[in-house]
Amino acid sequence: MNETDTDLRDRLVAMESRLGTAEPPALPARRIRRLALSIVGGSLLVLALVATAAAGVIVIGGPVRGFPGVENPGQPLAGAQMECITPPQAAAFIAAHGITKVQWQVEQDDPSADVPGRPGSKTLFQGTAPETGIVVAGAIVDGTLLMLVDQRGFAARPPHCVGK
Amino acid sequence: MNAGRLWPEVGDATAASRRDPVDTFERSVAPHYAPLVRRLSLVLGDEAEAQDVAQEAYLQAYRSWSQFDGNDVRAWLYTIGLRLAFNELRRRRRWLAALGRIESRPWRDPSDPDLAAALHSLEPRVRAALLMNVVDGYTHAEIAAMLSVPPGTVASWISRARVQLRAVLDRD
Repeated sequence: MNETDTDLRDRLVAMESRLGTAEPPALPARRIRRLALSIVGGSLLVLALVATAAAGVIVIGGPVRGFPGVENPGQPLAGAQMECITPPQAAAFIAAHGITKVQWQVEQDDPSADVPGRPGSKTLFQGTAPETGIVVAGAIVDGTLLMLVDQRGFAARPPHCVGK
Repeated sequence: MNAGRLWPEVGDATAASRRDPVDTFERSVAPHYAPLVRRLSLVLGDEAEAQDVAQEAYLQAYRSWSQFDGNDVRAWLYTIGLRLAFNELRRRRRWLAALGRIESRPWRDPSDPDLAAALHSLEPRVRAALLMNVVDGYTHAEIAAMLSVPPGTVASWISRARVQLRAVLDRD
């Protein structure tokens, strides 16, 4: 192994060692054993399970709703390709189509939240469209159109926007 | 197996597993779990995804523990983990292609950004092969068996990867 190889190995080992540690997941057999001990140990767990199930029935009272994308076929702005225009242009387009309740979710870089191997980001919500960013068409949720704008450094327009 | 191994091999794991398979499995495999997560983080370029894949690999290893030949438990776990990781990368690429988006999240290591960027520029299987060769000391033949590719392919990958990374090392 020459000097370059040793240097490369040392730096790769150091890079790996800077990544976080992790505990292995509980194995199915261990989980079953622990559950059995808990059940034998006390009826509180059973009571908690019953209470949780009852609460679940209340919470999930209605059918699960999906929110199809606003540009999906059959949706109000089908095929609009807002990902190819600026946020202010998208805002004007949305308004021209009679949608007045719009919330803008803006994703930005946040170096203070960086962890090794993963750049940090933060999310802002605002009532007006930002000036810049890549538009990601959202969905209408409870009467409000949620639009996402990606301002992170690596955000890029999809290939089909070239020339538009 | 070559002599440059960083971790000791597990000797009579199969025989011991007949006594208490769960205990033996945990004693043999758990010490390799955190290194697996770190290795998958470098291969996938994403720590959270690496944790998910490593968990799945650990559970798959547990389910097929009776088929383990008792030789090199780390290589066996890494083989399972890397195959799952490559499947995950293929799934991610298909999904992004279906959305018509190319999202390439730059992978950063503030302590050694140039090497991290150069490493990330390698194709994932090449990256995995290089790490197993340079860091773990596995031979080309061993890596070929783990990644299910011919040894000549592994040799070519590692040679090209070293040339690419040497440019970074020479610059520093």
